[in-house]
Amino acid sequence: MGVFFGYVLASIPYGCAFSLVAVGLVLTYRATGVFNFAFAAEAYAATVVYSELISHGVQRGWAAAIVVCVIAPVFGALLDFGLFSRIAPGNRTAKTIMALGLTVILPQIVETAVPSNPPVPPAPFFSTSFIPVWRIGGDPVFGSAICEVAGTILVLIGLVLLLRTRRFGLPIRAAVESPKLLELSGVDARWVLRFAWMISTALAAVAGVLYQVGSGATVDPQNYDLLLVVSIAAAALAGLRNLPIAALGGVLLGLAEGLVQGYVPSSSIWYPALVPSLPFLFLLVLLIFHPTLRHLEDTIDPMASIEPPPPVPAVAMRPPIVDRTIRRMRWPFLGVVVFGVILFVPADWTEALTEGAALSIVFLSITLLTGLAGQLSLAQWMFAGIGAFTTAQLAENRHWPILLAALAGALVAGVAGLVAALPALRLRGLPVALLTLCLALLGDDLLFPTSWVSNGTSGVPVPRPSSIFGIDFSSVDSEGFFVLTVVVMIAVAGIVHLLLRGTTGRALTAVHASPIGASSSGVQIRRMTILVFMLSASIAGLGGAFYAMNQQTVSQDSFVYYFGPIYLVVVVTIGATTVEGAITAGMAFALINNALMNVPQSVGGTQLHSTALTVILLSLGAFTYAKHPEGIVEYAKRRLAKTVFRAVEHNDHPLVSAEDSA
Amino acid sequence: MKRLLEVRDVSRHFGGNAAVDHVSLDVFDGEAVGLIGSNGAGKTTLFRMIAGELALSGGRIEFDATSLPHRPDQRARLGIARTFQIVQLFGGLSVLDHLLVALQAHEGRQGPMRDVLWKGSSTPEEEQRCLETLRLCGLSDVADAPATALGLGERRAVELARALVVRPRLLLADEPSSGLDAHEAARLARVIALARRETGLAVLLVEHDLHMVEAIAERVIAMDAGRVIAQGTFDAVLHDESVIASWLGRSA
Ligand SMILES: Nc1ncnc2c1ncn2[C@@H]1O[C@H](COP(=O)(O)OP(=O)(O)OP(=O)(O)O)[C@@H](O)[C@H]1O
Ligand SMILES: [Mg+2]
Repeated sequence: MGVFFGYVLASIPYGCAFSLVAVGLVLTYRATGVFNFAFAAEAYAATVVYSELISHGVQRGWAAAIVVCVIAPVFGALLDFGLFSRIAPGNRTAKTIMALGLTVILPQIVETAVPSNPPVPPAPFFSTSFIPVWRIGGDPVFGSAICEVAGTILVLIGLVLLLRTRRFGLPIRAAVESPKLLELSGVDARWVLRFAWMISTALAAVAGVLYQVGSGATVDPQNYDLLLVVSIAAAALAGLRNLPIAALGGVLLGLAEGLVQGYVPSSSIWYPALVPSLPFLFLLVLLIFHPTLRHLEDTIDPMASIEPPPPVPAVAMRPPIVDRTIRRMRWPFLGVVVFGVILFVPADWTEALTEGAALSIVFLSITLLTGLAGQLSLAQWMFAGIGAFTTAQLAENRHWPILLAALAGALVAGVAGLVAALPALRLRGLPVALLTLCLALLGDDLLFPTSWVSNGTSGVPVPRPSSIFGIDFSSVDSEGFFVLTVVVMIAVAGIVHLLLRGTTGRALTAVHASPIGASSSGVQIRRMTILVFMLSASIAGLGGAFYAMNQQTVSQDSFVYYFGPIYLVVVVTIGATTVEGAITAGMAFALINNALMNVPQSVGGTQLHSTALTVILLSLGAFTYAKHPEGIVEYAKRRLAKTVFRAVEHNDHPLVSAEDSA
Repeated sequence: MKRLLEVRDVSRHFGGNAAVDHVSLDVFDGEAVGLIGSNGAGKTTLFRMIAGELALSGGRIEFDATSLPHRPDQRARLGIARTFQIVQLFGGLSVLDHLLVALQAHEGRQGPMRDVLWKGSSTPEEEQRCLETLRLCGLSDVADAPATALGLGERRAVELARALVVRPRLLLADEPSSGLDAHEAARLARVIALARRETGLAVLLVEHDLHMVEAIAERVIAMDAGRVIAQGTFDAVLHDESVIASWLGRSA
């Protein structure tokens, strides 16, 4: 009995936080149509603000908590005002991308702005928090636990009361039931949405502070993985619609987590693998089998059929002159770049360029899956990791030639892609993003740290090839490897280009636009989805292998899961519909990162911040996605083409049309 | 004449509500059958079951004297094509590409393997056939235009062209004239008649516009509240007592 209560008590801060976040997730999703991936980032930011307040003069924890509670809704209102309210209501993909962008950027901004996170756990609300208040069966009940339970209950009661008021609550409840109904009723929907954002940001902030203070750990964005997964699971349990179930689900999942952690003996072989993976597996099962989630994207609004949904804005077709110009310019351009690099560029920049080429290969897998098939996969970086580790292990332990090992790595990653593709067959849109996020977290937390994958913390060395087809380039190691990587990148880009422009591209565009229209035309959606998923995963795996060869080692920190969403956002921002977009993104990422890394320490450059800044720079464009879903590279090209085309047309009309008909 | 489509005792419930209730009907090779009935009679639901989009609650459907495969795309490749009450076009594709998608899917010349092996571009024969169908449907001028940017009349024509390009054996047309003016509706009716003459395809036509039904259908089936209440020639069905009763009952 006493032991049981001990575990229950230990799980209280978790359960409370899960519950609050799940409620916030459901509330925003239903009211605004955005699945707010950023809530974990918001929770983290709130915690950092809390600790900063305490270390900068606000003596009392409870006072800092109140300040956070005031700042958070204002921040939520700003988010809606500045970002989400600018997107048309029906454009779910744009909203998801924007929420992902926020998830990616917010922690980076926080880390840049507050460079030295205090390595101590944030102070409790009251100085007496860790004095036992009373005992249950010999277990001390601390003041902090009481604070947390009381805080959560207060917040939930406040929320219920708020939702019951006529003025604030009624419109929100109406929005949760049916956004359409709300619109028809003539209430100013914009205001309601803003209010929903304020509430859910406040919930995320409160949850973050409770979670952090209660767990007594130091502030670290990584600690939010569990918060992320379990809250999503609780929200999923509620079918993303039922607020009480979400609240209850959070508490129960927190409890379950605590009990499992307590009762499975830590010496058992299950402990290191099973215990952390339980929430993932639970979420996975929910995503695949929960009936509401399977049809999430079909209809969520009982009144939706009153009017047909607004037509998806037709993406302007690319003027043919753009294609022609690119077709003519690409080889000379590439030639100049490659020779320029070989002749003039110092070694560390050559390595950066090689990294860019390897990243480009990984990004091309995103072009294939997201740009072409319209599936938001957050697991591409994990597939890259699978490719890299397979390559490294085969080369190191089985002494395979490295390039053969890289091919095998691509194959293994492709098989892993099958694992993601099978559930994705039954799901579309948001659930696929959640599912792949779940897989990515599983890979990062469970697969990559195991010793037979990454040799523990020491990592696995990855040799670079020194010759191919008898051409030995071991004496010009970095240049030779650069050329090899670029050649592979071009080959992959060629394949992706063929798919984009060929039968697959056309068919998948059709599937994306109208699944029933496509299947009634005979398009084999399932087969094509599986093949594209597998192909995309193996391309990512190949890119990962080259990335690891360039680094010459691969360790469990080489493929951190959150780069999955980061890279997705970067590629989509820069252009996920063309191969040039992916290559531009890969090169830009590596080069900007390297440039920032070379900023002298005195100006404030450190490695951590160079990556953070790169991410911020490159993904800010996520906020333009709603207007330019084709990406900024493509947008710029079309603008340029239009200008040029117009100029040419004016001077020289017959020539252009003669060329057009050629 | 051979029996092409055989629907026997087919039902479909939504919750406790029978949208289609023990319906049986036949469509013979090359025949055009009109399916009429007031709103909510279950016509679209029946179409969705024939096309494989919706599972049956009971009964069976046979095509060409064999039972049908499960998925809509498999049935499409057997030669069942359809158009939709709410137009289902492919945003981002040109009119010509709509037909290419359907044609390549039908001929099994579609998929990543083909593209990677450099066989992804459309063949001259494919394009030829698409252009012919476009001409038949009066869409030659807009072949390269994005389909979703066209007017409703042309969008319905694109849907029809996408269905016809594979030379289906059975066309399921769900209210092709809805939202169109009399002129546009007459044009679609002509296209369907032409296509029947050229390829001998059978048509099952759901329509509220009785002129169009009269122009196309050789036989008419009337449904009400999920059941077949009458069938026969156009005149016979229109003068059938239960049909009149059901219509008067609705409008009263
Ligand atoms: N997915 C569904 N879930 C629940 N009920 C449905 C569903 N689809 C159709 N129904 C119901 O089944 C009945 C028949 O609908 P159906 O769309 O087949 O009618 P219809 O004859 O095509 O009408 P209309 O002329 O308006 O197109 C209606 O009462 C409708 O509400
Ligand atoms: Mg209908």
